[in-house]
Amino acid sequence: MKVAYHSPLPPSRSGIADYSALLLPALARRVEVEIARPGRFRSRPRGDVALYHVGNDPEAHGWIVDALRRRPGVVVLHEFVLHHLVSGLTLARGDSAGYLDALEQEHGLVGRLLGYAVLDNRIPPLWETRPEDFPLAGGVLELATGLVVHSRYVEGLARAAGFERPIWRIPHPAWEPPAVPAADVGGAPLVGCFGNLNASKRIPQLLDAFASLHRRRPAARLLLVGAVAPRFDLDRRLERLQLGDSVQREAYVDGARLWALMAACDVCVNLRAPTMGETSGTAIRALSLGKPLVVSEVGWFAELPGAAAVKVPVDESETELLEAALELLARSPETRAAMGSAARATALAEHDLERVAEAYAAALEQAAGGAAVAEAVASDVARAASEIGIEPTDPEVAELGRRLGEIGLGR
Amino acid sequence: MPLPAAAGAGLCPAGGSLRRLDRYGEGGGPWGNPGFTHAKGGGPWGNHGFTHAKGPWGNHGFTHAKGPWGNHGFTHARMRIAVCRPQVPFARGGAEIVADDLVRELRGRDHEVDLVTVPFKWYPGRRVLTQAFLWRLLDLEEADGRRIDLVIATKFPSYCVRHPNKVAWVLHQFRQAYELDRTALGQFGESPEERATRRAVQRLDRVALGEARKVFATSQNVAGRLERSTGIAAEVLPHPPAPLPFHTAESEGFILSVNRLDRAKRIDLLLEAVAVEGELRCVIVGEGPDRERLERLAREHRLDGRAVFAGRVSDEALADLYASCLGVYYAPIDEDFGMVPYEAFLSEKPVLTTTDAGGPLELVGDRRTGLVVSPRADELARAAAWLAAHPREAAAWGRAGKVLAERVTWDACVDRLLS
Repeated sequence: MKVAYHSPLPPSRSGIADYSALLLPALARRVEVEIARPGRFRSRPRGDVALYHVGNDPEAHGWIVDALRRRPGVVVLHEFVLHHLVSGLTLARGDSAGYLDALEQEHGLVGRLLGYAVLDNRIPPLWETRPEDFPLAGGVLELATGLVVHSRYVEGLARAAGFERPIWRIPHPAWEPPAVPAADVGGAPLVGCFGNLNASKRIPQLLDAFASLHRRRPAARLLLVGAVAPRFDLDRRLERLQLGDSVQREAYVDGARLWALMAACDVCVNLRAPTMGETSGTAIRALSLGKPLVVSEVGWFAELPGAAAVKVPVDESETELLEAALELLARSPETRAAMGSAARATALAEHDLERVAEAYAAALEQAAGGAAVAEAVASDVARAASEIGIEPTDPEVAELGRRLGEIGLGR
Repeated sequence: MPLPAAAGAGLCPAGGSLRRLDRYGEGGGPWGNPGFTHAKGGGPWGNHGFTHAKGPWGNHGFTHAKGPWGNHGFTHARMRIAVCRPQVPFARGGAEIVADDLVRELRGRDHEVDLVTVPFKWYPGRRVLTQAFLWRLLDLEEADGRRIDLVIATKFPSYCVRHPNKVAWVLHQFRQAYELDRTALGQFGESPEERATRRAVQRLDRVALGEARKVFATSQNVAGRLERSTGIAAEVLPHPPAPLPFHTAESEGFILSVNRLDRAKRIDLLLEAVAVEGELRCVIVGEGPDRERLERLAREHRLDGRAVFAGRVSDEALADLYASCLGVYYAPIDEDFGMVPYEAFLSEKPVLTTTDAGGPLELVGDRRTGLVVSPRADELARAAAWLAAHPREAAAWGRAGKVLAERVTWDACVDRLLS
């Protein structure tokens, strides 16, 4: 069986490219994979089923959605909120009407009016201010013959949006940590935060909590690794909190450096609010390394096992509880060790690459041939029923349908 | 070279006539009807399973609860139990024997028990699903106006049956949908429909076993496979072998194989080992679709008289073969469980197996109860020769095996199934 595989791939710098680079070799051991490439003049792989990795970045995923429009298939929904993607596929291509239609389709007239307001610069872009309220996933869901999601959270959102076709919940695969030594970064404890630095990563709250920790524990250090978002005033915040040398920053780092820095940390913090339904590759890496995690109690993050991750609610107590979590982990090496073991066990059990690849193969094989099989079995059953005089309107037929449905062979 | 005495006149040397001299007919023999033909009443084992025991098997569970079972803590209330197993017409193997034995043992404990079977054909293509679906349509919640308290389902697809109190004792999943896929023993090709059929079998397992009140697996091997493939945790519950008149006797120097003759049982490896080691002899008991190929292989290796295809034999003849062999060869590929090592041990004989045999490795310990070697003919030949040269060790390992085998009792099985 052949799969036409659509995804950004390295050297593209995206989490989804890294994800596919990890998954593809294991998947290719189970099904035949044809890689689709962007470009108008490239030949398009057909395959028995097409798989599309869809994220929110129009630059990385625009061509994938275009391919999906040409041929519906299984969509890996890496995040549920696709407003930025949709605006890139419409407004950035000069298709204002398409953007307004997308808003109206999901949010009615109010959505269209808000769209007009954005176009007229009356209000700031919705994809920057309130994307979670206007996810605009409907267009992609309409084209998907099935969904792969990473969390119950996104599965619930898709169902709530009316998606009735198959959904396969498959965990994000975990990387096996490379044998690189931990970076020489001090701190007792060393708290790490990896990824783009912006308000939705709750960096302000993290800085406030860390400042409190640092006052009690001057040896504590915070490692911030990632690019600072354009309108995020990190320097001013650091200055105001007088954190000075207790915060170490690195912008973009390559894979080896990322692992080395993460390996040096005692605790990894991965906060998020609002969530777009995404998973976090850096959180998965932290699990692989057996690092205790502190996360926000939202979306996929809330589904992490409590033994491996402290979950901080996103409410008025957030900073206070974050500070308490950091203090607990700073004070108790036993807790860190226990959480680290649980984290590693989670990576090995839930996020095992081979297991994930097998789940993908199962999903794709079902997507490619499942309907034909269900149809054939139902036909066999219907024929047998008909031969003994059971009519399509007889109650027995409903019973047959119910039993077929129970074992996944319903129509 | 003389034939082993126990094999007798009913055996057909491999190099000789291909006509099987089966004096026992289709109904008898190890894969015949042990436990059921006896109901007719003839012979020393004629009573086990159906009437109160008087013979040597009298203590093996055939009496009612007020008898010797009264002391074993079996206080389960009398239940109405349906034991479910699929039936492949004209074929009989270990799974059939276990289900039949279970019925007999439950009846012996004063429960009202019946065996429910549905014919099963698993090919071609999606037939496996339509046949499994038949089980889904059965209504076993009551029969003849009376409630059925418990359903014990065994082999795929019988555990697809619906019942509010379903216990699955998994002897087999449909292995072609799992570890045998894409091997010579697999069934499903690469077309999307065939791939999806395989996945539908897996989903069926998840649903059917997921709804069971309790899931047991016949071995750690089966439990592990089940956990890996469906995520369902099963308790390991091995079952005792069929009640043959086990005894032991002086070794007559041959290696015994007792198995259905199909490729997965890997009888060809034994024949190749016999070809390697000129002094080695074997007796192969059992029937199956691979017989013709195996006999051809024996002829090609010129094993005239050294490899004997015994076909089906009676319980008594089988027990005699076990008693008089040097050791028992049992090395299917990744076998689920396998009763043969238990039968060998109850005859105080060591077992020769291979490192990839699966379930048997849970019982056969290398140089403790037998020899475990790489699945290569030369290794196997060397191991058999070693046994022949070391009869004292062979006997000691057989006795050690017997201690293990005697621990697996129907008392324990029934107690856990009904708990």
